[in-house]
Amino acid sequence: MKIKEYYRASSLEEAYSKLQEDPSNALVAGGLWIKKVNQNHNTLIDLSTLGLNKISEKSDAVEVGALVTLRDFESSPIVNSLYGGAIAFAIREIMGVNFRNLATIGGSIMGRYPFSDVITGLLPYDVTLEFYPKSSMTLEEYLNYKGKLNAILTKVIIKKEEGKGFYKKVKTTALDFPILNIAVSKVSNKFSIAVGARPMTGALAHKAMDLLNNKKVISDKDIEEASELVSKELMFLDNKDASKEYRLDLAKVYVKRGLKEVSK
Amino acid sequence: MIVDKKKMKVVNNITPSVDGKGLMQGRSYYTDDLADQNSLVIKILRSPHAFAHIKKIDVSKAQALNGVELVLTYKDVPHVSFSRAGQGYPEPSPHDKFILDEYVRYVGDEVAMVAAINEQIAEDALKLIEVEYEVLEPVLDFEKAYENKTIIHPEDGIKEMFPIGFDPKKNVAAAYEMHVGDVEKELANSDVVVDETFYSQAQAHAMIETHSSNARLDEHNRLVIYSSTQTPFHMRRIMATTLGLPVSQIRFIKPRVGGGFGGKQAFHGEMFCALTTLRTGKPSKLVYTREEVFGASYTRHPMRIQMRIGANKDGTITAIDCRSLSDTGAYGEHSLTVFMIVGSKVLPLYNKVKAVRFGGKVVYTNHVSAGAYRGYGAIQGNYALEATIDVLAEKLGMDPKELRAKNSMREKETSPIFEIMGEGTKGTAMIMESCKLPYCIKRGAELIEWDKKYPRVKVSETKVRGYGMAIAMQGSGIPFMDMGSATIKLNDGGSYMVTVGATDIGQGSDTIISQIVAETLQTTVDKVIIYSSDTDLTPFDCGAYASSTTYISGNAAWNAALKMRERLINEAAAYLGVKSSSVEFDGKEFVSGNKKVSLNDLSVLWLYNKDQHQVSVTESYIGHVSPPPFMAAYAEVEVDLETGEYEVLNYVTVTDCGTTINPMLARGQVEGGIVQGLGMACFEDVKYDTKGNLLSNNFLNYHIPTHKEVHKLTTEFADSYEPTGPFGAKSVGEIGIDTPPAVICNAIYNATGVRIHKLPITPEKILKGLKELKK
Amino acid sequence: MKVTFYLNNTLVSYDVEPGEYLAQTLRKHGVKSIKVGCNESTCGSCTLLLDDKPVMSCSVLTASIEGKKVTTVEGIQQEAAKIASYFSKEGADQCGFCNVGYALVIYQLKKDYKNPTDEEIKNYIVGNLCRCSGLQSQMNAIKAYLKEGK
Repeated sequence: MKIKEYYRASSLEEAYSKLQEDPSNALVAGGLWIKKVNQNHNTLIDLSTLGLNKISEKSDAVEVGALVTLRDFESSPIVNSLYGGAIAFAIREIMGVNFRNLATIGGSIMGRYPFSDVITGLLPYDVTLEFYPKSSMTLEEYLNYKGKLNAILTKVIIKKEEGKGFYKKVKTTALDFPILNIAVSKVSNKFSIAVGARPMTGALAHKAMDLLNNKKVISDKDIEEASELVSKELMFLDNKDASKEYRLDLAKVYVKRGLKEVSK
Repeated sequence: MIVDKKKMKVVNNITPSVDGKGLMQGRSYYTDDLADQNSLVIKILRSPHAFAHIKKIDVSKAQALNGVELVLTYKDVPHVSFSRAGQGYPEPSPHDKFILDEYVRYVGDEVAMVAAINEQIAEDALKLIEVEYEVLEPVLDFEKAYENKTIIHPEDGIKEMFPIGFDPKKNVAAAYEMHVGDVEKELANSDVVVDETFYSQAQAHAMIETHSSNARLDEHNRLVIYSSTQTPFHMRRIMATTLGLPVSQIRFIKPRVGGGFGGKQAFHGEMFCALTTLRTGKPSKLVYTREEVFGASYTRHPMRIQMRIGANKDGTITAIDCRSLSDTGAYGEHSLTVFMIVGSKVLPLYNKVKAVRFGGKVVYTNHVSAGAYRGYGAIQGNYALEATIDVLAEKLGMDPKELRAKNSMREKETSPIFEIMGEGTKGTAMIMESCKLPYCIKRGAELIEWDKKYPRVKVSETKVRGYGMAIAMQGSGIPFMDMGSATIKLNDGGSYMVTVGATDIGQGSDTIISQIVAETLQTTVDKVIIYSSDTDLTPFDCGAYASSTTYISGNAAWNAALKMRERLINEAAAYLGVKSSSVEFDGKEFVSGNKKVSLNDLSVLWLYNKDQHQVSVTESYIGHVSPPPFMAAYAEVEVDLETGEYEVLNYVTVTDCGTTINPMLARGQVEGGIVQGLGMACFEDVKYDTKGNLLSNNFLNYHIPTHKEVHKLTTEFADSYEPTGPFGAKSVGEIGIDTPPAVICNAIYNATGVRIHKLPITPEKILKGLKELKK
Repeated sequence: MKVTFYLNNTLVSYDVEPGEYLAQTLRKHGVKSIKVGCNESTCGSCTLLLDDKPVMSCSVLTASIEGKKVTTVEGIQQEAAKIASYFSKEGADQCGFCNVGYALVIYQLKKDYKNPTDEEIKNYIVGNLCRCSGLQSQMNAIKAYLKEGK
């Protein structure tokens, strides 16, 4: 990797205009992915002095700065109080503390990595992304956004609501990317189901969610049907870590278990 | 000499490792810590093809790059075939490798070498080398390698040092056949015959320190190489022969080594450092990247093993037939020796058979080369044998523990295999002077509550716990081949300087040799200063492999310490003017009647005041037998019947390794081996794409066990004493790794009814098996 | 470019390349206790403390630590010796290559948690690979060290 300049931005405006200068310029969040990809960059833009590393609690939401590390995020009491700690649990499954102290929430989201536990872990909840220049979209909208977004993520806003969550990372060992990850929630009586590492990036299973959310009372049969539906509406594929068939089996089992868990 | 364990004060007692504190504090004594600050940095251009012929190679642009000091291709290096394997001489491995060659035989094989003033320039220079390849059809399936139309080693100048079955025109690196009795007849006469075939994978050593070496010329213009190696003396010999240098012009120093497990029993870069420093006169270094360790060093030999076992209804095993095919990858390092262990350190477990047969081939493929790896051959053989024994037990309606207890090796017994099979050569007959296997089996069963829980316990509608077991044996060095030696020198103040060629690679041999010397000389470990290993300064040792260090090097140190004791008593007697036989020595004082003198005083006198001379002794040891350590292992696994996921909740082992010289280090060897074996059994998978590119070339794609996968290890040792070992010790470095594949295979079968014939035993395979059972 | 930071409480100022990583910088300046096992943030052997947080120094851009506090094992010599004695008692020390990373992680773990559960300990240290020990002995040693003085 060759870097010509390391630029410490003193404002978002500065960072943004620097980013426009050269297509090879890049933002540094935790710096982990930049190292892994090992490309040459004209300028790396450091955002660390812009106050993007804070978690603050508002009346109806938790605002997480884009540069908050995964470690600060998963160990924050505020985050742990959300949805029975389900989101914090998902993030804690990622590598060790010495990795999570580097990786940031913003870097993890912006990369839209197929293996991301951050994305699957957050998807079932009401999560909004805020950008500079000022704009916002939900996490799901960002995942569906075509092309590279020319903006700097500043904040991740997680709505505070009563509810429960379930998270499962299926993996070979603790330092592995997931073979499949499954997040299920029940918030304000609405179910939400996300499955990632299929091996594609996490996505919500809307048809299965609708099936459940259109019913007043959920039976075991509904849960069974929903889990079948997830395997039909989302795409699952083979890769070297697992076959499509195994992923489908896992998705069915864990969606079912997740739904039962959050229904308790 | 038999020593009463109760009287031992240092050996068999808790002793902290001699280097533990310094290493934790960050003392810089690993290979790359000791590289010259101004070293040229060496990088290797590696083949992008699984098999190709280099038609044209142009290095002019790389050479012209500012900061590049040397570029080498096959045209610039001696065309002398050698084996990278650090083995005794003559090597039982084919000489089928050149430092650089016009053929490349796997993705990652060396094409060219660049040395530059820094890493960045070296990497930039690699990109400037222009290579025109004639891409050849590779062999990527080892079951199709034999007599394939692709010949992986068509070149001239390669050879075997003595007959090992080397037949490169048929892609055969080595072959071996043996038999005792008439196996077909005995199988035909048996009440029950089982026939099972198992596949084991190419495990990666994954030591945390990557392969590293560096070189410089000393003030005599001799070549001095620091290398993270298990075999410094073999390295010196092989390098001298290959580069055409006198042995006297090369010095190999092994500093602290960050793990080896067999992976560092070979050349990985040392030749390039040597050539760079010899040609430029400048210091140089080569540190493998993690990707290179996975993709360009070597792995465990993948194998296919077929076991046919016959037995009578009463549970007497009558005959074993083992056919094996081994994949040595692109080069044949350790091909025959690893292959023979599949038979020689596995089949004697059931020594009461009327007939036994073993044989097969080791074939070349266009994969990363295979080589030595802890448990070499034994773990592959153990998986096949011990899983098949469970199949047999079920067919006989017997408890597998009882079947094993009835048929396995006991004390004072032998097996004809010992005499027939050695390592690349004939073996050595021996009687088991120590074998507590019956106790190990019984005690292990108690610890896991076998009689209460076998074969399974239901936990819930979706979870079940299964219980499995296996037994294992290993060896202690290679008899009449591997030698160790030790020099002990008395210092003023009464401390001892011990220099050994024995190679501490993290297993703790410096500590246990210090203990052996301290015990013999009735002193404490802090009075023993140990240094290993340096071809200039320390006496010869074959190195750390084949479970040899405690037994071979330990015996050498013991002999040297006994000799030193005798010398000290004789010289003290002369000083006191009395007969040696009248002198008592308690480690501190020499007493004869009313005359006495302290070791401290004498040690000063002899250097400065009276009859000045250096007291020092050197002794060697060569094994005449290779007493096997034995083990019984049991596991409890919990399986999720809906997903196939499982956890190993408890792994119980009871080991007979004779006296444990250092009980904590012995435990570390057993448990470290078990967890590596569990890695092979459960997680570690080497994956290639269809072109022969290695996909599992980092820790994200090659999964070694972490703290979260290890739940409980229950580790005990049998009370045992091996009369030929130092203070009764046998080896313990490898035995731990042998059992997990078979034990986990058996436990999963007992939990689910699914038997996995191909490692690793993944949840996906288990679930597939469960679904097939339902059909 | 110039980067100034505290190395074991001493202010140091190094000339570095903009794309240089901290493990590389420190080894170049003689801090050879930093061990690089994978150079891709997967093995943990290069762990040090950055503002009292364990991080893998192979993946920290040196340019990014301006004004920060770096602690290597040289800064916690007495604690490292203590940790070593617990490792020795449990037979957990072998090749030693991962040990420095462990020393720093465990040292900080003790500061961050009062009475961590096994699960909390494992979540904290799981990023540090060890291929030698069998890992249980390390866990026992760590637990004993954490209890000391409490």
